[in-house]
Amino acid sequence: MIRFFAVLTTIAGLLGAPLSGASEEPRVVTADGAITETVYRLGAGSLLVGVDTTSSYPLATDDLPKVGYLRALPFEGVLALKPDMLITSEKAAPQENLERLSRAGVKVEKLPSAMTPEAAMQRIERVGQLLGRSEEADGLTRDLRADIKKTQALASKRGFRPKVLFILAAGNHSVMLAGKGTAAEALLDSVGADNAVSGIMGYKPANREAILASRPDAIVVAESTPGQFNAEDWPGVMRLAAWQSGHRLVADGMLLLGFGPRLPQAMAELNQVLPVSSSVAANDS
Amino acid sequence: MIRDAAGRLRLGPSVGLMTCAAVIAAITSITIGAYPLAVADIASVFLGRDAADPVASMVLIEVRLPRFLLGFLVGAVLAVSGAILQGLFRNPLADPGLIGVSAGASLAAIAVIVLGSTWLGGWLAFAGEWALPVAAFVGGSGTVLLAWRIANRAGQTSVATLLLAGIAINAVAGAATGLLTFYATDEELRSLTFWTMGSLGHATWRDLLVGAPFMILALVATPWLIRPLDAFLMGESVVGHLGYRTDTVKKVAIVVVGLGVGAAVAVSGLIGFVGLVVPHLVRQLLGASHRVVLPLSALLGGTLLVAADSVARVVVSPAELPIGLMMALIGGPFFLALLLRTKVI
Amino acid sequence: MLSVRNLNVSLGGTRIVTGIDLELGAGELVMLLGPNGAGKSTFLKALSGETQYHGSVLLSGCELTRWQPQRLARRRAVMPQRVDVNFPLTVKEVVRLGRPRSAPVNDLVVLELLRALELEHLVNRMVPGLSGGEQQRLQLARVLAQIVDCPGESLLLLDECTSALDPAHQQLVLELVRHLARKRDMAVLAIVHDLNLAAQFGDRLMLMESGRCVLDGRAEQVLTPANLKLVYGFHARIVHLPEGYPMVIPTGRVASQTAPSNPVCRQAS
Repeated sequence: MIRFFAVLTTIAGLLGAPLSGASEEPRVVTADGAITETVYRLGAGSLLVGVDTTSSYPLATDDLPKVGYLRALPFEGVLALKPDMLITSEKAAPQENLERLSRAGVKVEKLPSAMTPEAAMQRIERVGQLLGRSEEADGLTRDLRADIKKTQALASKRGFRPKVLFILAAGNHSVMLAGKGTAAEALLDSVGADNAVSGIMGYKPANREAILASRPDAIVVAESTPGQFNAEDWPGVMRLAAWQSGHRLVADGMLLLGFGPRLPQAMAELNQVLPVSSSVAANDS
Repeated sequence: MIRDAAGRLRLGPSVGLMTCAAVIAAITSITIGAYPLAVADIASVFLGRDAADPVASMVLIEVRLPRFLLGFLVGAVLAVSGAILQGLFRNPLADPGLIGVSAGASLAAIAVIVLGSTWLGGWLAFAGEWALPVAAFVGGSGTVLLAWRIANRAGQTSVATLLLAGIAINAVAGAATGLLTFYATDEELRSLTFWTMGSLGHATWRDLLVGAPFMILALVATPWLIRPLDAFLMGESVVGHLGYRTDTVKKVAIVVVGLGVGAAVAVSGLIGFVGLVVPHLVRQLLGASHRVVLPLSALLGGTLLVAADSVARVVVSPAELPIGLMMALIGGPFFLALLLRTKVI
Repeated sequence: MLSVRNLNVSLGGTRIVTGIDLELGAGELVMLLGPNGAGKSTFLKALSGETQYHGSVLLSGCELTRWQPQRLARRRAVMPQRVDVNFPLTVKEVVRLGRPRSAPVNDLVVLELLRALELEHLVNRMVPGLSGGEQQRLQLARVLAQIVDCPGESLLLLDECTSALDPAHQQLVLELVRHLARKRDMAVLAIVHDLNLAAQFGDRLMLMESGRCVLDGRAEQVLTPANLKLVYGFHARIVHLPEGYPMVIPTGRVASQTAPSNPVCRQAS
């Protein structure tokens, strides 16, 4: 039985290969917002036959079948879309289903999470290779790299590393602070800024007093849906000198934390709200 | 005539009907899914011939078959555990979920996942892939024992105390689980997501290999409990009068429930309400004798979970609803109706 | 059959039953009497294995605690004071539960007992829907089903088995018990509050007070105005019926009750 089965999967593999060849465009499922964005930026959106629920940008994703959350990918749901390839990130789970998809002839590509601008660019290039769009990817990353360089040049003119409070707004009252090892910290680092909150790992529920004590030079709020963060609910945040002096950025979470093709935009927007001198924190009363 | 002299459904036709339902659920669960399969392909695979669709065999043998078997086993075990607890506590509201057994089992399993790399590293290295089901079993049995101790004072079982204890146990286990997830790394959180909602979506033959022995052991032990549990319905003292050692009966029941629920939680996460809804239904239709309640709860519980799982994976296709969510959607309103109809607890 | 020597029971440090001796022969029906809180039920629980005791209880010459549980269940049946069944079991299922596992799988005995207790017409009814009296007779049927066809002697312990019954059914039940006791070599120890029923059916009456046996003898010896005044604290007139047993007619309560003067079990001969 097992041997019979192994033979079948081999056949499946052989049959799968020519399908994704030059003659026909591959059918692709992506499960990770940043990767989906990349596919669209490479002009390969038409290859997509399904995305996961973290893929909400660009709007064209609305018209695609959703296969669920990337950490609970269904085997049959994905397979039913008859994809040649599943491009996802390290976050994808459960592992059993990914393994079985791959044995069912779907090329499963788990790309590493990008935590630096360079890694983000390499990931875009990798997606380009996978989709047979290397040229487009190289062209795109060339432009993006230039933008990144421009922003980083501006950032380096600052004589100090500003401390930034990074807030993740996920629900009505659910507000998390970004700590060590997060994409938020990686983003701050890319523009020469530091996390104002030390001593926490990952994203943890916000302590209002810790917010006041952090005395940041600037504040970034990443929203999971636009308009989610209501500053009036958080008087502690509004009272911070950085907030009052306008050194604040409220933006979409996927834009800020995705490390996809919009990374340069995120870096530029963030860099703009960072103070030029460290006088802000000193004036905080 | 479908009803007997006691106004209940006749046993013979009912068993026949339930068996039919189980077979239909089995066939549905194996033939229907997000991935469309031709009937000819399904037939080919089961006849050992080559199917036109090269992945047909993979979908059937590696995905749907273990998923069906695991779902049936988990449903049967949860329903039987519910029936046993209800007999033991002489109350139709006892349920592995309500009195906190599932929460205890899942807390232990989550502790193994989160602390496996640090404090419980030795345990993980020692027990290998059995670490999770064994931990869930210990957590489950421990919670039954705790609930029993709290609810039983001087030979009297207070149901109000039992349900209150269940609330407290659930709260404490929930908080402890929350604390563990707080300290969990992103990586570990990934493996935790499915525990809270329950899922059969990742079921593999390996899950079956690890979980089935515990669950089958629990099911095999239940016939011994039929008469003592019937006696329990008359009161704890009657168990002794009829020649059973009451303590032994309780211990066997606790171990059976702990084993079954522990293993079920270990392989499928938290799936509630099966243990409440199914035995109650069987009792209403066919009477309260455990000779009927235990085997038919197993049959109906397995059928119900498999059917619910078939719906869960088709209704929002290509995505899937968590099965725990499905059962809560069915069981929650049922439980409320039960509360409204029960005059005295 | 049953031989109790110096039986003592303590619950939570309090002595409930003190120094009871009792001999009970096969076919004998002993009525256990005494005011509320005298320790009757506790004594019965000690004999039915629910409560630990000090002293010796020999059943057919073997200490109670050393019997193998299933064999003991074939020889000793216990009817508790109250049994509430809130699950939908039928009458037949409840009586069947009393049948030993080794018994033949037909319902002959079950149906015979139900007929004898006038429950035959309810055989398929759900227990929670029965009246109090019907439930009480049903429990007796279940208990009798346990030992009624036991080869050799057996022991039947009844805790107020007639409390919910009308007079006709009280007569029916106790007549059946007496009949089976004689025919099947059953020794019966029954707690009764109705002194007249005790007098009518008891071969012997055992009177308890404050955990001790104060009197053990025939009805006319135990049920005297002096004893009733002393132990229960009420005045009574005793009428000796031509049927051969005394009848108690209460005539009022004793104003201030005094403690019993003689707590030692005295064999009235």
